Order: sequence, then structure tokens, then C-alpha cells
Amino acid sequence: MNVTFNKRDPVYVQVIRHFKEQIATGAFEPGQEIPSRRELAGRLKINPNTAQRAYKEMEEAGLIRTERNLPSKITRDEDVLKRVRKELIMDAVDDFVHSVRSINVPVDEVLDLIKEKYEDESGGKGAKHD
Amino acid sequence: MIEVNDIKKKFGRKKVLKGVSFTAEKGEITCVIGINGVGKTTILNAIMNLTPINAGQILINGETINKHSYEKITFIPDAIIMQPGMTIKASMQFMADFYTSWNQARATELLGFFKLDENEKINNLSKGNRAKVNLLLGLALDVDYLLMDEPFSGIDIFSREQIAEVFTSHLVEDRGVIITTHEINDIEHLIDKAVLLDGGKVLKQFNSEEVREEEGKSVVDVMREVYQP
Amino acid sequence: MNRFIKLVNFELSRFMKIYIALIVLTGLIQLTGVFVTANSFMAEADRMIYEQGMSQAQFIEQYGAMTFLNFAKSLWFVGPIAICAAALLFYVFMIWYRDWFGKNTFIYRLLMLPTARLNVFLAKAASIMLMVLGLVSIQLILLTLENAVFKWIVPVDLRVDMTLGQIVKWDYLSIIIPQTFTEFILYYGAGFMFVSVMFTALLIERSFGWKGLLLGAGYTAIAALVMLSPLLMIAFTGQYDLYPLETLGLEIGLGIVITAVSVWMGHYLLTKKITV
Repeated sequence: MNVTFNKRDPVYVQVIRHFKEQIATGAFEPGQEIPSRRELAGRLKINPNTAQRAYKEMEEAGLIRTERNLPSKITRDEDVLKRVRKELIMDAVDDFVHSVRSINVPVDEVLDLIKEKYEDESGGKGAKHD
Repeated sequence: MIEVNDIKKKFGRKKVLKGVSFTAEKGEITCVIGINGVGKTTILNAIMNLTPINAGQILINGETINKHSYEKITFIPDAIIMQPGMTIKASMQFMADFYTSWNQARATELLGFFKLDENEKINNLSKGNRAKVNLLLGLALDVDYLLMDEPFSGIDIFSREQIAEVFTSHLVEDRGVIITTHEINDIEHLIDKAVLLDGGKVLKQFNSEEVREEEGKSVVDVMREVYQP
Repeated sequence: MNRFIKLVNFELSRFMKIYIALIVLTGLIQLTGVFVTANSFMAEADRMIYEQGMSQAQFIEQYGAMTFLNFAKSLWFVGPIAICAAALLFYVFMIWYRDWFGKNTFIYRLLMLPTARLNVFLAKAASIMLMVLGLVSIQLILLTLENAVFKWIVPVDLRVDMTLGQIVKWDYLSIIIPQTFTEFILYYGAGFMFVSVMFTALLIERSFGWKGLLLGAGYTAIAALVMLSPLLMIAFTGQYDLYPLETLGLEIGLGIVITAVSVWMGHYLLTKKITV
């Protein structure tokens, strides 16, 4: 686990984003145990208070679950997991749309370009693996 | 909680502290930031009653400091405060002899953490290793508050990394820490609270996560605003 | 109390190397002195008796029989004692200043010990007193040894023997080595008073810087004036109405007051005024 933090977003928010990404990409599986807040602080080199804050927020959002004194686990709730994935995609799309709109490109042209680029990248990847 | 209330301090005619107030909570890392010579060390000395203040009051958990306080609060200066010629082991024994809050198990753990050899004489160590011994002797006390004077100053990058790691570990967990520094880079995302000092006064004190969240600013952004208006 | 004893132990161990060196030095110089003085006396006796043909009785009549005091009055004996006294006197100051100066400012640690800071003061004073007492005890052992060496070198016909009891009654030795328990209390009480006045003067300097240096010197002067006040009375008024025993009582009273004031001030300075 290695995260480079930027200095202007709250660290706990960045930790949560990191968790969401791990969940969306499947690096964290539903029901998987996650490190204690102490371990997390050590691994990410952050203040234990910040780790605590991130866990508290994630708990409230239903991303993780803690039963009694057992280690916290990633939720198995399909709805939540879907929502996380969707949220990440929406965030990325929002950013993209925001920057593309500022250069006044028609949406059809953008969509074509996206498809082209997507195929290029996956094709390129495939070629490399051959 | 450590409460520093409107403390003033003169050295001869020079007013070093002109009414400094701030608080530091248990379980938080409070960072006192200011250029060299601004009186950061004086504040820590005053908290520990190592130098008298001319006005104001300092309370530790609501009490003024007394002999029992030194089992609950400790100070890690940036100079060695053991006798020349003492080994790390002898220094640890000295601490064990005098402090009931000395935690030998943690001391042993810290020796391993910092990769120090207890049979070495402190004065033969590198600057970085001396700083680690200093930290060890403070951290191995079961105290509520740790005051550290410039823990990162003038030591090599690897020692700095190792020392920064202390702050993210259980070694400081739940304790109140006050760090002074003139250089925030190593610890910007570790601290809970920043106290910006200049001209003998606190120019601003703030929670670092709050300014990120509410104003989208980094600690250095705020410093820039405060120090270069 | 426990921490106080640990502090005394620590302070003693810090000076132990130099202290042992002082003892070894004293022993070596004094024993050499016994050999040298006794041998030169014997050489003189040999020359007179065997070369000049003087009889033993004539020689003793002219030069006197050798006593242990011939050695004890020499620099061989007095020198090392003076060195030890000077070293300890110097250490009365260094026992504090070494904590402030140098690379390791140990005063931080001492002031942050979870014990009354007065204990640091008292432990340092007690260490000085114990070191004086130790040197005196060792001097007694050395005297016995030296007396034996003296008897071994100088034949019985040419010497007058003295017991240890007789030797220590002589002149300044009787001040260093108290003859009675009362004397012991008086001498070491005065010693403790001296140490506490010096410590307090030094702490005034440490607390107030340059101004403190003057204040400290002033405090020492006042303490001295108070102790000497009966003498000064005679000098200035020319009359004096107290019997010797009353003077002694007065001096003891004054001494106790000065010691108490010094210790109290030391406590006050260490808790309220001291700066690292």
C-alpha cells in the first residue's frame, strides 16, 4: 500500500478515496479484512488520528463494517459496492467533461476520440503482451 | 491538555515572547512553527519550568507543573542531556532508576526500531543516532505529553524518515505531542495542529485537516499567507 | 528519600575517577615523602656518627631525635592535602557548572527528575561532604601506614615515637581531624554551611546572569559579615561582653540561620528562577 498524498485535500479524504479505488478495482474484495487503524497509519505514514477519522467516515458511509472487537471488513453490501464504483466513474467523467467543455469540443467528436483512444490503448496493451 | 496562557518572557531588555497563547490536546500532534530565534525552545523550556516566565500561566491537565508532572510530561531537547561517556545502556538505567513511568519493554522495542547498539557511548554516535537516543529516552517513558525541540533539525534524511515513522506508530499513539520546527516539509501531513509564531506572538493556530477541508489550503499555503502578507 | 540516595550515589560516581586519582596521588606523594625525609635524616645521622665520629647521644643532643612531625611539617605531607582541598573547593563550583557547560547539558535531566529540586541541591552538598569525610578517613589510614614506614626506616634510638592520637592532635591536623564528636559536628556543620552558601551564590549567578554574579558575590559577603559579626563588634566598638561559650553559642545560632536561609533560597531559586 503506497499512496502519495497531495497537500491541499484533507488526508482522511484522500485515504477514503484510496479505499474506494481499491474496492472498485477489486484489490479489496467484499468481506476482506482491512488493517487496523494503527497498522494503516504506519503503512500510509499518516497520523493515527487521521486513520481513525477515515475509518469512522467509511463506517458511517457503510463502506466498512466492524463487529464488536473483530477487525474491520469491507462491506458485502452489493448496493454500496456498486455505488462506490459508480461514484468513482462519475467523478472521473465529471473531471473529464469539465476540462473538455472548457475547450468547446462537440460531444460527438469527443465520443469518437474516446472510442479510438480506448481501442488504441487496449490494442497497444494486447500487442505488447504478444 | 496543555494550556499556554498569554506568557511573556524577556531576556535582558529583549522581549522574546510577548503574550503567547495556545493549547495542545492529548492524542494530537501540535506543531509550533517559526524561524530560528523566535522563541520556540523558550516556550518548551517554560512549559517544563526550565526557565521562569515574566507573565502568564501554563497549565498541564489544569495544574501548574510540579515534581510529579515529570512522570507525565517529558521534554526531548535537540541536545544530549546525559553525562558524557555514558553508554546508551547506562542512560536507560539512569532513567529506570529515577522514573516510575519508565517502560523497559518499550525501551527495548525502541532500540530495535532505531537499530541502536546499547553498548555504544552516546558521545561517539552520529548526530542522527544521538537524536534517536534522545527520542528513545523520552518515548520510553509512559508520559501523556511529549515535547520535542526540532527533532528533524540537522540530521540525515534516513534518520529523519525513521523519526517521522515514530509519529505514525503506536509509540506516540494517544499521547499529546508538541513539536517545534522551522521546516514543515517532513511532517506536513502528520500534524493535527499548527501554531504559527512570529515576533513573539502566535499569528495563527489552526487544525491542518480543517484548513484543507474548508479552505482547500495546505499548511504551507497558510504559512505563506501569514508570513508574507 | 530513595531518589535522594540515588542522586548522591550518582554524584559520587561522577567524580569517582578524579577522586581516586587524588587519593592515589596523596598516598604516593606522602609515602615517598616519608622515605625521603626519613632517609635524609638517616643519611645525616650516618655522616655524623660514622664519618664525624659523633656519638649517638651527641647527635641527638645536637639535632634532636626524629619524630613523625619532621615529616608531617614538610611539603611532602602538606602538599597533597592542599591539592585535595583545592580540588574539592574547585569542585564545589564544578559540581554545578559541569551540568550547564560542555556538550551535554545534563542540568535539563536533573531539573526534570520527578523529585523535589531541593534534593538535587542537597545531594550535591552531601556528596561534597562525603568526599571530604572520605579523604579525611583515608588520611587517617595513610597516617598509620606512614608512621609504620617511619618506624621501619628510623631505628628506635634515633626517633621519638608518637601514636596516631598524638599526631592528629598536632596543629592544623587537629582541625581536619576532629578530636571529639562535638568538634566533628561543629566542623562539618561549618563545612555544610560553607557549601550551601557557595551553592546558593552560584545558583543566584545561574538565575540572574551578570547581575547574578554581583548578587551572588554580595550574598557571600553578607554571610561572611554575619558570621564575623562578633569579631567586628570588638574591632569597631572596642568592647565585648560575651563569654567564649556564649560567643560559640551565638556563632552556632548564626551559622544555623545562614545555612537555613541558604538552603531555602537554593530551593526557591531552583523551583522559581533557574534557567537552563
